[in-house]
Amino acid sequence: MADDLILDVQDVKKAYDGLEVLKGISFGLRKGDTKVLIGPSGSGKSTLLRCINHLTVPDAGRIYLNGHEVLDDNIDAMRARMGFVFQDFNLFSHLSVLDNVRICQIKVNGATKEAATQRAKRELERVGLGDKADAYPAELSGGQQQRVSIARALAMDPDVLLFDEPTSALDPELTGEVVRVMQQLAAEGMTMVVVTHEMSFARQAADEIIFMENGHIVEQGTPDAMFTDSVHERTRAFLNVIAEHG
Amino acid sequence: MDIYDVLLRDFPFLLKGLGVAIVLLAALLAIGFLLGMAICLITLYGPKTRLVQWPLVVYERVFRGVPIIIMLFIFFYGLSGIADIPAFTAAILAMGLRSAAYQSQIFRSAFQSVPAGQMMAARAMGMSKVKAIRHIIFPQAARHAIGPWTNEFSSEIKETSLAYVIGVVELTRQAHYIITSTQGNVLTVFAVVALLYFILNRAGNSLLYAFERKLAVPGFEK
Repeated sequence: MADDLILDVQDVKKAYDGLEVLKGISFGLRKGDTKVLIGPSGSGKSTLLRCINHLTVPDAGRIYLNGHEVLDDNIDAMRARMGFVFQDFNLFSHLSVLDNVRICQIKVNGATKEAATQRAKRELERVGLGDKADAYPAELSGGQQQRVSIARALAMDPDVLLFDEPTSALDPELTGEVVRVMQQLAAEGMTMVVVTHEMSFARQAADEIIFMENGHIVEQGTPDAMFTDSVHERTRAFLNVIAEHG
Repeated sequence: MDIYDVLLRDFPFLLKGLGVAIVLLAALLAIGFLLGMAICLITLYGPKTRLVQWPLVVYERVFRGVPIIIMLFIFFYGLSGIADIPAFTAAILAMGLRSAAYQSQIFRSAFQSVPAGQMMAARAMGMSKVKAIRHIIFPQAARHAIGPWTNEFSSEIKETSLAYVIGVVELTRQAHYIITSTQGNVLTVFAVVALLYFILNRAGNSLLYAFERKLAVPGFEK
């Protein structure tokens, strides 16, 4: 394991009822890296992302965060260091926006209410929702809810942020505001793994794009390399289809 | 002395009976709440082994499947052979244990109506299962449960009158004493008793609805 990797994923495998969804995936991130996972539906991208924080427990392989292996024994502490942004936001529906961003700081990280409030307000400003602190999730648009969920993850001061198709549940109109927040985070040096079909984001913000299919990494490289002269025909075909429809 | 004078004279006894009914109600609901919540939590989050789950299923089926009047007889006459328990205690036990079976189902469906993503998000943020249940799932489930729980509350108020059959001197039995002593006037006396039950029921329901409104989440479920 290389010492300077924040997140190190080694040979992760996962099968459901004998169907291998992940056939041994390895990749790593250094501090400030943004890696984008792309690939057709069913290629295993989301499963891979969920294996990283054990929302789905991998069958084999190792995952290290800052040199510490992610295990069942330390999973709560490890998850607190990894922000996770869901496709359908999953904001805590009974809590105000402010409390959504505060509660895990207080209940998981042991922050004081004052510190948590300050941090929450700062992160809400960062995603452009400083004026929505007292609103409730059901009163917000999908794009606003997703930005709150990003603020909620950021407030935990995570080492890495994991995004699971963060714009797939949004109208095209609302996708932009979420993508802009993600681009800003990438530019500010946040370490992120992003599963997405937003090729504009991948092209602009990714340090590396990883193309997956059938549980394998087919090809990986910088956006320039991947978009202009990807080696594998399958990658080119996929990117062409996405380019036409996206 | 006509019946109205008698009612006026004996009204304190009716109120005393009402008081007994209220204590019985509070006790059986409290037992039902604690035990019902425990059954719900173990069913949903406890070990999935048969050894743990089967007794809970049997308990729930039995107590929901036998008429309360039979349960009252079994607890009073049956248990009195083993231990000398007063009718009031027998009534609290029989009705409390039965309410637990119903309340466990109310809570189970309320917990299950909280979307799975809520637990997933709480766990993904680093909350333990217990913290997630306490801070995220329970507060949402509680809101879902108030409506059906109000129903259980209303049913149980009315069923306290059945404790009459094992000799608990609650409201209905007090009414019966008045009827016996005046030899008649059944309709008038029971009309007054009905009114008392009705007022208690409405008052309790109004409180619970107010509680439900107070907890309502803005923009949610409207």
